[in-house]
Amino acid sequence: MTDKVTTPRTHGALQLVSRATYVREWLLAALFFICAFFFVLAVGLIFIFVGVKAWPIVTDYGIFKFIGGTVWSSASNSYGILPLIAGSFLVTLGALALGTPLAVGTAVFLSDVASDRVRSFVRPAVELLAGIPSVVYGFFGIVLLRAVVAKFTGTLGFGAFTAWIVLAIMIVPTIAALSEDALRSVPEGIREASYAMGATQWQTIYKVVVPAAKIGIVDAIILGMGRAIGETMAVLMVVGNAPVFPRGIFAPLSTMTTQIVMDMPYAVGLHRTALFAIAAMLFLFSMLLVASVRLLSRMRG
Amino acid sequence: MHSLRLVASLLLVALLALGLGGCSRSSAQSKKLNVSGSTTILPIAEESADAFKAIHPDVTVLVSGLGSSAGIEAVSAGTAEIGTSSRELAPEEKSNGLVDFPIAYDGIAVIVNPDNPVSGLSLQQLRDIFSGKIKNWSQVGGGNLTIDLVNRDDGSGTRDAFQKLVMKDAKFDPAATVLPGTGQVRDVVARAPGAIGYISLGFVKPRFSSVSVKALAVDGIVPSEKSVADKTYPVGRVLHFFTKGKPTGLTKEFVDFVLSGKIQKGVVVDAGFIPIAEGGAR
Repeated sequence: MTDKVTTPRTHGALQLVSRATYVREWLLAALFFICAFFFVLAVGLIFIFVGVKAWPIVTDYGIFKFIGGTVWSSASNSYGILPLIAGSFLVTLGALALGTPLAVGTAVFLSDVASDRVRSFVRPAVELLAGIPSVVYGFFGIVLLRAVVAKFTGTLGFGAFTAWIVLAIMIVPTIAALSEDALRSVPEGIREASYAMGATQWQTIYKVVVPAAKIGIVDAIILGMGRAIGETMAVLMVVGNAPVFPRGIFAPLSTMTTQIVMDMPYAVGLHRTALFAIAAMLFLFSMLLVASVRLLSRMRG
Repeated sequence: MHSLRLVASLLLVALLALGLGGCSRSSAQSKKLNVSGSTTILPIAEESADAFKAIHPDVTVLVSGLGSSAGIEAVSAGTAEIGTSSRELAPEEKSNGLVDFPIAYDGIAVIVNPDNPVSGLSLQQLRDIFSGKIKNWSQVGGGNLTIDLVNRDDGSGTRDAFQKLVMKDAKFDPAATVLPGTGQVRDVVARAPGAIGYISLGFVKPRFSSVSVKALAVDGIVPSEKSVADKTYPVGRVLHFFTKGKPTGLTKEFVDFVLSGKIQKGVVVDAGFIPIAEGGAR
């Protein structure tokens, strides 16, 4: 708790607030502190819990065999997650490649192009996408999208490509909203200066406004990546869940998150430990992403 | 100063107490029965539960299907009164004190798209297909079309039975698509021309679905209730209920109910399975 509330403020001999006000403010500060600290505690507890549960993978199995192993099979007690890592990154990076241009385009449109009237229905539409539960995306993906992909490729339609499309739609709201914030925080004066020098609207956007908001947009993309890599239900329903190295974008694969869901109901012993170790890996990835966002924000600030 | 700290810590204690109090209530005996496990047994369990509730209106029977291994896990851990399984217990599961109630016989049908000209395969061909050795339908008398394998997840009793009865020591092709439920396998195979999968015989006929699949003859025997019951069809198995220790009270009533003629000749047959009395000891 800060100094401001630990002692009643005085001005000479004059007490500025009553004792009651002082008590109330102290209590409020304590309450806010508890609220904020709760999440620090939660993150700490989750980290410790997952870490403890995952630790035997280091002592009983071998961390290099775990991260570098290429066979995931509970039947032969082999828990190498390299194919799952490859799957996660293939799915995530493809979704980002598809989703980012869409999202940044939408953000530029909303901040610099659209009239107030157009904006008034485009923005809620994009925001609505963020509120749809991921299982609905997955259902849409497996019933509609998979069938279309299957028809055009002659495969079953499970695989990275189908997941890319589903995930791209899912991460657009995140990236678009944050990019728009970044674009809007570019001072109006910069745009006016650009117009004053005779630049057109398009030149102003891609030579001045977007570069000025660059770090904020990268920030948004990293957070979008966090959502994509952690997404589970929707991906589970469309990737085909074969824990092997992806053999193309129309072949079944598995990701770290989906493997946890597939195996969780019946995993025991070392198998369960391996699932916790995957969870720990995901935790580390997300820590890395958050750290890089913090670093970028510092650069921007 | 101290009194304020006290108030704050009291608040915290009160919050904690509230949180803990919420957890300790559920242990009270209510008339609830949890039946969990195999997706294959789901139709039998659900319909039996409905019929059971009609006789005992004060009882809630919760039925869920997460796979046989999950069911065995749940009943061993005590989170379900009855675990349903379409496979036998694994050696390491036998020490849990589970009591076995065979409730029906079932055949595992190998299914393909209705447009596929292939109508039967040998066990050896099946083994080669599902281990990834045979990759094109033309190698087994079909058209020139890539074989798309659809497999079940590792926790599935159907997969376990298929492994034992068909694959023997051969390994499933790990690159096959893995789907977590019988219904999904059926749906995908029904729509993909090159697909092959396996599901319980009870799910082959389009009872719940508008799309159809074709069941293949195995070693020349067409899977049917008769060929499974007289054991000429080679891919047959027993469906089980497991309870922890000898069942008592409500659990026993439900097990007896499912084994009664009413369910065996009604629900079990309707769902496409073979009543336990008709198959004899397997």
